[in-house]
Amino acid sequence: MKKDELLKILMNCNRCGMCQEVCPTYRVSHIEANVARGRNRLIRLALENQLNLDKEPEVEKIINECLLCKACEDSCPSGVPTPEIIASIRAHYTNTKGLPLGKKIMYRGVFSNNKTISLVRNLAWIYQKCGINKLVKFTGLFNKTDEMLPNLPPKNVRSQLPVLLKVLPNADHRVAYFLGCSVNNFFSSIGVASIKVLQENNCDVIVPEVNCCGAPHHSAGDMEEFKRLAKNNLRMLNDLDVEAIIFDCSTCGSVIKDYENLFTGDEEYEKIAAQVAEKVQDISSYLISIDFNKNMGTISKKVTYHDPCHGIRFLKVKDAPREILKSIPGLELIEMQEADMCCGGAGSYGIFNPKLSRDILARKMENFKNTQADILATSCPACTMQLSFGMKIHNLNCSVKHPVELLVQAYEIKSL
Amino acid sequence: MVDNRLIDELRQIVGNENILTSKISLETYSFDASPYSGRPSVVVFPTTTEMVANIVNIANKNDIPLMPRGAGSCLSGGAIAPDGSIVISLTKMNNILEIDPLSKIVLVEPGITNKQVQLAVEQYGLMYAPDPASQNISTIGGNIAENAGGIRGVKYGSTKDHILGLEVVLPTGDVITTGNIHSQVEPELDLTYYFCGSEGTLGIVTKAWLALSPINPEVKTMTAIFGSLEDAGSCVAEIIAKGVVPTTMEIMDNTVIKAVDDYLKLGFPRDAEALLLLEIDGFPSDVKTQVNSIINAFASNHALSYKIAGNEQERLDLWKARRSVNGALGKLKPANIVHDIVVPRDRLALMLEKVAQMAKKYGIIIGQVAHAGDGNLHPTLYYDHRIPEEVEIVEEACDEIIKETIAQGGTISGEHGIGIEKLKYMPLAFSKPTLNLMKNIKDAFDPKNICNPGKLLPQITED
Repeated sequence: MKKDELLKILMNCNRCGMCQEVCPTYRVSHIEANVARGRNRLIRLALENQLNLDKEPEVEKIINECLLCKACEDSCPSGVPTPEIIASIRAHYTNTKGLPLGKKIMYRGVFSNNKTISLVRNLAWIYQKCGINKLVKFTGLFNKTDEMLPNLPPKNVRSQLPVLLKVLPNADHRVAYFLGCSVNNFFSSIGVASIKVLQENNCDVIVPEVNCCGAPHHSAGDMEEFKRLAKNNLRMLNDLDVEAIIFDCSTCGSVIKDYENLFTGDEEYEKIAAQVAEKVQDISSYLISIDFNKNMGTISKKVTYHDPCHGIRFLKVKDAPREILKSIPGLELIEMQEADMCCGGAGSYGIFNPKLSRDILARKMENFKNTQADILATSCPACTMQLSFGMKIHNLNCSVKHPVELLVQAYEIKSL
Repeated sequence: MVDNRLIDELRQIVGNENILTSKISLETYSFDASPYSGRPSVVVFPTTTEMVANIVNIANKNDIPLMPRGAGSCLSGGAIAPDGSIVISLTKMNNILEIDPLSKIVLVEPGITNKQVQLAVEQYGLMYAPDPASQNISTIGGNIAENAGGIRGVKYGSTKDHILGLEVVLPTGDVITTGNIHSQVEPELDLTYYFCGSEGTLGIVTKAWLALSPINPEVKTMTAIFGSLEDAGSCVAEIIAKGVVPTTMEIMDNTVIKAVDDYLKLGFPRDAEALLLLEIDGFPSDVKTQVNSIINAFASNHALSYKIAGNEQERLDLWKARRSVNGALGKLKPANIVHDIVVPRDRLALMLEKVAQMAKKYGIIIGQVAHAGDGNLHPTLYYDHRIPEEVEIVEEACDEIIKETIAQGGTISGEHGIGIEKLKYMPLAFSKPTLNLMKNIKDAFDPKNICNPGKLLPQITED
């Protein structure tokens, strides 16, 4: 966004303070620098040349402490798009200073390339299995970031596709399943479940060779790389003869749905992005739209649902995952307080802002505990990683599951 | 002046994690929801009464101005930090200490938000009656300091009618407890009342005993559309004159209707001149009679149409519309001033019309919402603070609104407080002996004038 445009939308903030109620960083810290109106105030001063963005490390820190969860924007009576403003300023930092080395290695080096990401995953799996991790933990080398990594599955989803994908010549539906990096590499059970559930509902599934959606690059302000990835994905997805492109990752889904805004002014890609966006479907909503198979076995457990920011505020998915959970015999859905408040995961937020991230997580876990549920369900691998980490550090013996994982379990119980 | 030695002393009191001193962090405490700004020296976040008292002692000993702050949502500049001051943010003293549903009392710390209190007592079928539009964020401490009213104010009164007692740190550092928590009858000079509406100039509330009210079993929410503000105003006067006391009677003018509808897309009639939002509560039989009486008043005051909210969602939507007014109007211009004048109820229609005429005369946008039931009007004037001529015109229009209010037998602030904004109007609204008495009271509580100086009371000049 250009400076004039930014200044104009910043003027819409009349400092009423309504963002205080919903901003997770404000709710745990109670300081004005950690809420939309405070952040906007500083940005406005910078744009009015009263502050120098590039010479105030504290401002940069404050800008980086925003989760981009969008809760403020949704409750802002003047509709100030704070996440967009913050993203613009981060892009400015990345433009003028380049990405910090850690983010550069992680985003451009790893997430940008499917092969490297699986290689890193495999190394990390070996690391976890051979016991070096215990030694490293002992030395305190990685401090606590190490614990944030989930227990990795032995194989990623893509390598299992030849076995997983069935030929369904008489299928009712033909869909593409977008296999995101996190699900593929870190939470393969979600990806496997998504494919199985779709096939169980008579969908012929294809899994295109997509790249990372670019969410990490976007949030770090690396717009150049973000655009490159987006173009690759758009070309790949636009040619598919499918009725829907299915996402089990709310982040990937909302980022791809929003590619259109990335290419404003670039007619060719704007058009393609709009066509692709039409087909983007969150898996729970899609299953409901095709009246999914309700012939299931019983799971006698209590479950509660955490709304990923990208699910509830970007894709506007609220009821569908809950409907899926309620449809499973024996499974009791209990609503938790602040279900739609960010868990503090926010991609790699927890690595770079550990204190705030953990305070927000503690609040989420407290709300979870109060429901006395056995399972915490959610539709986002980044949330899954953060919430599982929460279970670990808060000593809770409960699991974090995607609704489709529970659904596939219910189908499998029935067929036994 | 706050020097490094004082900062260290403050740091020792509140701990390293509860103090802000950097230029950037202080910048985020330079404002509230008013157009003013100030330059504090330090912000501290005490978590106990003892910490507050120790901080006040330091300020008192060194003659440093103090600024107690809650959510910082003040509209009149009451929460603007005096230059060089210590800001005492009460946001980390945010606990509910005790709920007594039998006696209908809740004991809270000052930093808890009004809404969190509502949520905590709801399960007992109770509510805390004052409900300012900012209730989702504004704190009980701030509500007391401003004597916040609210949308239910016409039936239930304002904050001062629901405070049973307070624990207060005085500007001298002494801690006192006021009130009689088991009765609203005060046998002696009622100290609690002094703090309600004192705008943080007499002391810092550290605990408050709030009186709760039962939630009535039936609620009906209605809207009516009028062809003129005058009809809407007359309708309100007639409803009250007939003996019906709704919990709410809110008038919104065309500017507000459009802004709110842009934000919420509720399908309000965008060309309507006035919308009246009404809510009544009580027992079912009682509510039914009230509804009939109100519908008759609609008819006799030429309402173009009316609607009764059919379900809870419709009702919540209407409320959200009302609560969003302040923010939704933010889109019109980069800056605004909202007044909270009060006129006798029978002058309401006339006053609404006069303000609408002033908007035309000065060629500016004035949005009008009114807590019509108690004659409390909120004309909001929009301008661009970067254009000096606009600032000047808006100031002139404000002066005229205030003068007209007083001419109609009204007063200058219903609930937002005097703050910085209305200081200059105090001599118009109060006689010299009254202002002198207020000044003497201030001196008795705060002999060194360190507690939120420069607010509420104007400098009195000898003539």
